[in-house]
Amino acid sequence: MMDRIFSGVWLCVCIGIAVSIWQMQVPFSYEPVGPKAFPLLLAALMALCSIALIVRPDHQGVEVNPALVGKGAALIGVLLSYALLFSTIGYVVSTALMVVAVSRIFRGSWKTSVVTAVTIAPGTFLLFDSVLEVSLPRGALLN
Amino acid sequence: MDNLSNLFLGFQVAIQPLNLALASFGCFVGTVLGLLPGLGPINGIAIFLPLAFALNLPPESALILLAAVYMGCEYGGRISAILLNVPGDAGAVMTTVDGHPLALQGKAGAALSISAVSSFVGALVSTIGIVLFAPMLSGWALSFGPAEYFALMVFAVATLGGMMGSKPVKALLGCFIGMSLAMVGIDSGTGVYRLTFGSLHLSDGIQFIVIVIGLFAISEILIMLEQTHAGKNAIKLSGKLLFSLKELASTGMTMARSALMGFGIGILPGAGATVASAIAYTTEKRINDKDSTFGSGDVRGVAAPEAANNASACGSFIPMLTLGVPGSGTTAVMLGALTLYNITPGPLLFEAQPAVVWGLIASLFIANLLLLFMNIPLIGLFARLLSIPNAILVPAIAAISFVGVYGIHSSTFDLVLMVVLGIFGYVLRKLAFPTGPIILGFVLAELMERNLRRALAISDGDVSILFASPLSVGLWALAALVIVVPILVRFRARRTAGG
Repeated sequence: MMDRIFSGVWLCVCIGIAVSIWQMQVPFSYEPVGPKAFPLLLAALMALCSIALIVRPDHQGVEVNPALVGKGAALIGVLLSYALLFSTIGYVVSTALMVVAVSRIFRGSWKTSVVTAVTIAPGTFLLFDSVLEVSLPRGALLN
Repeated sequence: MDNLSNLFLGFQVAIQPLNLALASFGCFVGTVLGLLPGLGPINGIAIFLPLAFALNLPPESALILLAAVYMGCEYGGRISAILLNVPGDAGAVMTTVDGHPLALQGKAGAALSISAVSSFVGALVSTIGIVLFAPMLSGWALSFGPAEYFALMVFAVATLGGMMGSKPVKALLGCFIGMSLAMVGIDSGTGVYRLTFGSLHLSDGIQFIVIVIGLFAISEILIMLEQTHAGKNAIKLSGKLLFSLKELASTGMTMARSALMGFGIGILPGAGATVASAIAYTTEKRINDKDSTFGSGDVRGVAAPEAANNASACGSFIPMLTLGVPGSGTTAVMLGALTLYNITPGPLLFEAQPAVVWGLIASLFIANLLLLFMNIPLIGLFARLLSIPNAILVPAIAAISFVGVYGIHSSTFDLVLMVVLGIFGYVLRKLAFPTGPIILGFVLAELMERNLRRALAISDGDVSILFASPLSVGLWALAALVIVVPILVRFRARRTAGG
């Protein structure tokens, strides 16, 4: 069933890609193929594969453990917030918060998660920013 | 003799202190990443690629580091397969079949050491194969025109569909999805914006590292949430840590045969370590299994997949280096790494960048030697690492992934895009899409489109140029063959099963 739903959605994506490519304004070029042909070909091939999967799905249903849906959503939320806060509040603070949250989601005790956060966040900052010279955002706290 | 002097040059590059240090570091970390269930060679390289780039390592050093991580992962995968009955990476699936029963019988030490030796033999045979055949193939590939390249890549995509076993449609769809992702951004031929949907951030296209880390590292974090092996206990190492001479002697032929087989399969574009180890295991079972000891703990059942697995990993460097067409997901990532350094792999690489190519080949020898010596005495340490709790491991992976992506452009947009691609990758993996083809497609798309457009520009739009030379006709025929033969085989199998 999940195969069919995904393939149906992907069929719509293919149509979207095709329409978007079709509407491109291409300046005159001497090249016979141009920028439209290849993506249109891909959209057609993907549509074929999607239809094949709708007709004959090979994997009936996905096991989704209901106990984990909430945790999965929380994990995605944490990762997205980490991405958004990374450069505004700085690497050390955002990483420490992320580590505590992710560690808790993965069944770490408060002690484990806080100790891991306090070690990883400043430790990797020193390693990357000072030793390896990969510049990381300092954020308001360290400026 | 020319090859030998080039190889000598390669060793001079590879034994420079920096490169040697990177190789040892890569081997160690690679083994650790390989043994952790879920993390495989692609994730390992995905995590290290941006770091190598951000550190401004010279191209040959970056490549040596990544190759050492790759080799290390292939060694590490067997440790969890044997001790935990969970393959550390896809190539180690067949190792569980005999490896875990051996461990249950208290022979974990023998299984681990014999598989380390088989891995070494496989890699050694295959690396010698690279030295012998790669320069030849690259000389031959000089005659490839755009039409031949296009046909070659069609063949690679077709092999993907034909060889990925049970899910050909999903492998192909995954490959096309990867290709479509590569279409985003300004078209270099005409300067029009494709599929950017008005977003300025997308006008440069999706960064390769963002795709790799998103699809592999971030989706892995989400997958790890569901991992069930947490409750399983790894078997403690006890008793003899080394195989007996009798065990070694009984596996000699198996290792040699499997290594050659793995090398051959590794060269084929599209077919990788998983296919190689499965074929080697079934072949050895057919030849040797007279007392039906295979499956209940036969050392040859451990030696075969491990030798083939590592041989195919090394063999897959050949199409990537000589033709510029990667043969596996992992070499696709390495190809992407080279492109970040503005180095275009392909037949000219051997002439234009001998230090890079031969340094890499020499470091494959060195890395495998290091791995053999690391994996026998340090096995106890590696085995203990299996018990790192996810509550510590996962946040560390997340932090390193974010640093890697942020390190390229310091862009928040890239971080968000990475997480979104991670969720997309998670959905695909839950639907049992193989992920290797996606990244292979992403890397191949630009090459394919460029060669197609170039070929048709030469012929002024006449499609027959694609089938003009005997070489391209041969490649098209092979492509058709790898698609049609498995279908026929399956059809016949069903008919015999039905009637």
